[in-house]
Amino acid sequence: MTVDPLLKVTNLTKVYTGRPSLVGRMLGRAPVNVRAVSDVSLSVNRGEILGLIGESGCGKSTLGRAILRLHEPTAGKVEFGGTDITALPAPDMKAMRRRMQIIFQDPYASLNPRRTVAEIVGLPLQLHGLAKTRTEMREKVALMLEKVGLKAGQLDRYPHQFSGGQRQRIGIARALISNPEFVVCDEPVSALDVSIQAQIIQLLQDLKREFALTYLFISHDISVIGYLSDRVAVMYLGEIVEMGPVESILARPRHPYTQSLMSAVPEVEASDKSQRVQLSGDLPSPLNPPSGCKFHTRCPLAIDICRQRKPETERVGTGHTAACHRLKENLSLLEGARA
Amino acid sequence: MSDDILLEVRGLRTVFDTRSGQVCAVDGVDVTVTRGECLGIVGESGSGKSVTFASVMGLVRSPGRIEAGEIVFDGTDLRKLSPRKMQALRGRDIAMTMQDALTALNPALTVGEQLAEMLEAHDDDLPRRRGARRAAIQARSVEMLTLVGIPSAGDRLRQYPHEFSGGMRQRIMIAIALASKPRLLIADEPTTALDVTIQAQVLELISKLRAELGMSVVLITHDLGVVAEHCDRVMVMYAGQVVEEGPTARVIRDPRHPYTRGLLASIPRPALRGQPIRPIDGQVPDLVDLPPQCRFLDRCPEAGEACRHLIDMHPAGPARRARCIRIAVPETEKA
Repeated sequence: MTVDPLLKVTNLTKVYTGRPSLVGRMLGRAPVNVRAVSDVSLSVNRGEILGLIGESGCGKSTLGRAILRLHEPTAGKVEFGGTDITALPAPDMKAMRRRMQIIFQDPYASLNPRRTVAEIVGLPLQLHGLAKTRTEMREKVALMLEKVGLKAGQLDRYPHQFSGGQRQRIGIARALISNPEFVVCDEPVSALDVSIQAQIIQLLQDLKREFALTYLFISHDISVIGYLSDRVAVMYLGEIVEMGPVESILARPRHPYTQSLMSAVPEVEASDKSQRVQLSGDLPSPLNPPSGCKFHTRCPLAIDICRQRKPETERVGTGHTAACHRLKENLSLLEGARA
Repeated sequence: MSDDILLEVRGLRTVFDTRSGQVCAVDGVDVTVTRGECLGIVGESGSGKSVTFASVMGLVRSPGRIEAGEIVFDGTDLRKLSPRKMQALRGRDIAMTMQDALTALNPALTVGEQLAEMLEAHDDDLPRRRGARRAAIQARSVEMLTLVGIPSAGDRLRQYPHEFSGGMRQRIMIAIALASKPRLLIADEPTTALDVTIQAQVLELISKLRAELGMSVVLITHDLGVVAEHCDRVMVMYAGQVVEEGPTARVIRDPRHPYTRGLLASIPRPALRGQPIRPIDGQVPDLVDLPPQCRFLDRCPEAGEACRHLIDMHPAGPARRARCIRIAVPETEKA
């Protein structure tokens, strides 16, 4: 396999600083910091789909946006196509944005209700000077609409005249019309009904092939991620706890969090749930993350060292890494259960 | 057999009058819930699954109304009850939890106050004397919160809904619903807003409480996986009608209605990597002035001329029925 990283992220960190309340400021309280993304390193190869999975509040959307600099990263480096874009000045960044796009989760909130489809999908063409005349713009938009399964005759309609699935198609058309190389798909099917979700997943796959795209696919649904991705990164409280080829993650998840995520998914086909790892409790508040390994408060295998020291990321297979103090013990437990 | 039936709905028809015409959200729905069972109701948005059970609860408000049908709960026709009697029954005998716990709970009252409200209204065993009554309510509230797995329940009774996480709020709503020891719990998408690890906890909890309290549960969901793991029987709804019903394992193994088949084929699974998924084309029909024909016709890969009239439910194997003319043929061949 030739590895051609299109995107390389090194030690990316995003800290949001909350302003203390008026009373807090009068009492001289320090601002509250939330490390939404903490020291994340990953790369996405040209032509692949990297699935990013995690529960709400784990920082997966923030990571997607920090990569595109929609939210400025606090620290770390993002390289795209060999260029460090972290410190790129605005005009260069604008040019770069043509090549990296995003599809949002909520097809209701992400389209301006006062603009027609032609205006919404045509905006990137206008911004990047990709269409000289209005007619050319309309032609290009019409063509793109047909590519995403809408009709050219729907150019002058408004978002409210479309269903949820159709709106998501509009969002996809807007992301792809500038002919990007890389698209962050931020939960693009989570708000849709099952049958519509399948249509959009199929569409995203077809378009990837047609336009030679690379996706960072963010989702909380391990079935979708497992079906679509080439590689998977699992995120918990701002950190990547496990990453590797999808086959290896599905067959042999090594981090207890990945294991619990996979066994928690209700499946249609009867499966062996004897190894079910059930978690107790909720996601801890990111305002006050646990010490040591952030997963220790919910981990069935946690021991003292987990509470004290942050685990290093270790290689556990070909291209497969995990960050856990108890990898060996966990493996022997798994083998024991299988034997 | 009939003693086993807790809820029986026959020919329910609930309509909404809108400016663009009459929307028939529920059209001729039959539901049977036996004692102690868990019935799963599966359908996409607009299939009528929530409206069906809002009708059962007597919660359909103008411009909606129940046009026809019988709703018999434990021998009583609920549609013939006075609003006062219905109010007494709602919450006491049939309780319902809503999808969005944050909007369903009152943000201005503490969790303890909301539990107390439920107990005041429906618990007849409470002592009359004020002090003793308050103590009993407090004790019952702590008991309920502990039952649904909320630690340090005594302290948390004084907190407001926003101070709890999503999973905890869903548990609180279940605690409130169960405080009156209902015989039927209708759980409307109880885990849709929750993360998978929390979803697993809440569903386990409902299953455990069903076994402990001996109540029946109707689980409304769009997730066939949830139904497969938690429900004895399943009803699949589409565009206001039931299109297939039967024992869960058999319906999933061998779906008889093309919509059920399409729904199952639409679920992306890691096992299907590399193969295209076969989504159902098109979208749910507009429920205003539907033509008298199979409602799935436009999206059905197997539709023919014979589907252009009203389709009834056909027997489709032991304890199974499906609203499709195609299944009737192989079934007679088998018999």
